[in-house]
Amino acid sequence: MATNDNILIQVSGLKKHYNKGAIKALDGVNIDIRRGEVVVVIGPSGSGKSTFLRSLNLMEEPTGGAIIFNGVDITKKKIRNEQGKVVKLNIDEHRQKMGMVFQHFNLFPHMTILDNMTLAPIQVKGMKKEDAEKLALSLLERVGLADRANAYPIQLSGGQKQRVAIVRALCMEPEVMLFDEPTSALDPEMVGEVLHVMQQLAEEGMTMVVVTHEMGFAREVASRVIFMDAGNILVDTDPKTFFGNPENPRLQDFLSKVL
Amino acid sequence: MGGLIKLSNFAKLSGYAEMFGQGLAITVMLSIGTVVVGALLGIVLALMRMSDIRPLRFLGLDKEGHLRGPGVLTTLSKFNPLSFLATAYVEILRSTPVIVQIAVIYYGIFGVIDLPTFSLFGITKFHRFFPGVVALGMNSGAYLCEIIRSGIQSIDGGQSEAARSLGLNQNQTLRFIILPQAIRNILPAIANEFVVIIKESAVTYTIGVQDIMAVVQSVKGATYLIMEPLLVATALYFCLCFPTSKIIAHFERRMSRGNKR
Repeated sequence: MATNDNILIQVSGLKKHYNKGAIKALDGVNIDIRRGEVVVVIGPSGSGKSTFLRSLNLMEEPTGGAIIFNGVDITKKKIRNEQGKVVKLNIDEHRQKMGMVFQHFNLFPHMTILDNMTLAPIQVKGMKKEDAEKLALSLLERVGLADRANAYPIQLSGGQKQRVAIVRALCMEPEVMLFDEPTSALDPEMVGEVLHVMQQLAEEGMTMVVVTHEMGFAREVASRVIFMDAGNILVDTDPKTFFGNPENPRLQDFLSKVL
Repeated sequence: MGGLIKLSNFAKLSGYAEMFGQGLAITVMLSIGTVVVGALLGIVLALMRMSDIRPLRFLGLDKEGHLRGPGVLTTLSKFNPLSFLATAYVEILRSTPVIVQIAVIYYGIFGVIDLPTFSLFGITKFHRFFPGVVALGMNSGAYLCEIIRSGIQSIDGGQSEAARSLGLNQNQTLRFIILPQAIRNILPAIANEFVVIIKESAVTYTIGVQDIMAVVQSVKGATYLIMEPLLVATALYFCLCFPTSKIIAHFERRMSRGNKR
C-alpha cells in the first residue's frame, strides 16, 4: 500500500462469532480506512454492517482479528508502550478520538443540550467549563441550534436531537466519526437536515464511516461504498461503479430491491 | 373495655403525653436507623446481584477459548456466588413475615450475642432498640435491593453506550449518566419503602421496644382505655408518614425537569 501513513483504521480478519461459531456476525472483515475518507456501508439487515461499525470503537467486542487505530491494536487487552513495557490498554483513550452517532440519538435526558455536549470535554479531557461551553456553542451555531442550548432533549424534534448528537460527538474533536443508521429513526421530512450536516462535515474533511440506507447520500457524499452480506465485505468500490455498474450478483439483487 | 369513644377520656390521656412523645421519638429513631441500615444493605445487595464475578467461567470455554454450547459446563460457568447469595437472601426475606423475622433475630441472634444494657438518650433500652433496627433494616434492605437494581437496569443501554463512546469510563458513566436517571426513576418506590418502614416499625413492640405502639399497650393497661390511645397512635403515625411521602414527592418534581416539555 503506497499511502500507508495515511491509514487511520486498519481492520484485518475481524471476526465476531456467537455460540461456538454457529452464528458469524462478522467473518473475517478486512478494510483500510484512510484519513479524510467517507466510507458508506450498505447491506441487507443482518449482514453485519452495524456489528462492524460498533466493533470499530469496541462497543461490540470482536472474537478475532485486529483493529489498528493510530498504530495501536485496540482489540488487545494488553499492549507494549513506547518504553517496551506491557501495559493495560485504556480503551477510553481511543474511544474519545472516535465520535459515534446512534440511530436512537441517545442524548442524556436529564441534562440540557449544553451539558450534554460539555460533559465529556470537561470530565474526560479536563477542559475548562468556559472553554467547553464556548466550543459547544460555536458548534451549535453551525447546525443552527444555538438558541436551544439550555433546552432539554425532550423539547427537541428528532432531527434536532440527531444534530445535537452529532455536535456532541464533535465536541471531543474526534479523528473519525462513526454513524450507525443516523436517519433510520427520523420522520422523513427530518432526514434532510441531518444528512445536510453530515455532508458539511464530509466536505470539511472529517473521516467518516456511515452505516445507512440513504442511497442518495452514498452516491453523492461517499468516497467509497461497501456492500456487506453475511458478515463479509463483498464489494468495496467508488460510488459511481457501485451504483452504475455493479458486477456482484448479490449486490445487483439488493440494489434492484432498494432503488 | 370497648364501648363508645368519649371525648372526656382523652383528657385522661393527657398525663401520658410525655410517654407518647418518647414513643414518637423512638419510632422516629427506629425508622431513621432502619433507613440507614436498609439503604447500605440494599446497595451492597444490589451490587452483588448485578456483579459478574464467575469463578468457574473458564469451564464454559473450549480449548481455543470459544464459548461452549449449552450443557452442564456452561451452566456451571455461569455460577455467580455473590449474586446467588444476594438473591437467596432477598427471596427469603421477602417471603417471610416481618414479625417472624424480628422474633428470630431477637431471640436467635441476639440471644447469643450479649448487648450492653445501657439506656439510649434516657428513653429506650439499647439491647432492645438495636435488635429492632437490625431486624427492620435487614428486611427493608431486601426490598431496597430490588428497587435499586430495577432502577439501574431500567436505564436504556444506549445511555451507557453513548457515554462510553464519548470516552467516559465506567465510573464516570455510572456517576453522571446512570445514577442520576436511576435515582429519579426509583424515588417513588423509595418514598413508599420509607413509609412502609415507619409503619412496620410498630411490630418491634413485640420485642419490647418502647415505640408508639408499646406506649399504647402500657396506657391501655393503666387506664383500661383502648380506642382512645389507639386513635392517638393513628394520628401520630399519620403525621409521620404523610409528610415523609410529600417531602419526597417534592424532590421528585425537582428532579424531573428533563421530563417536561
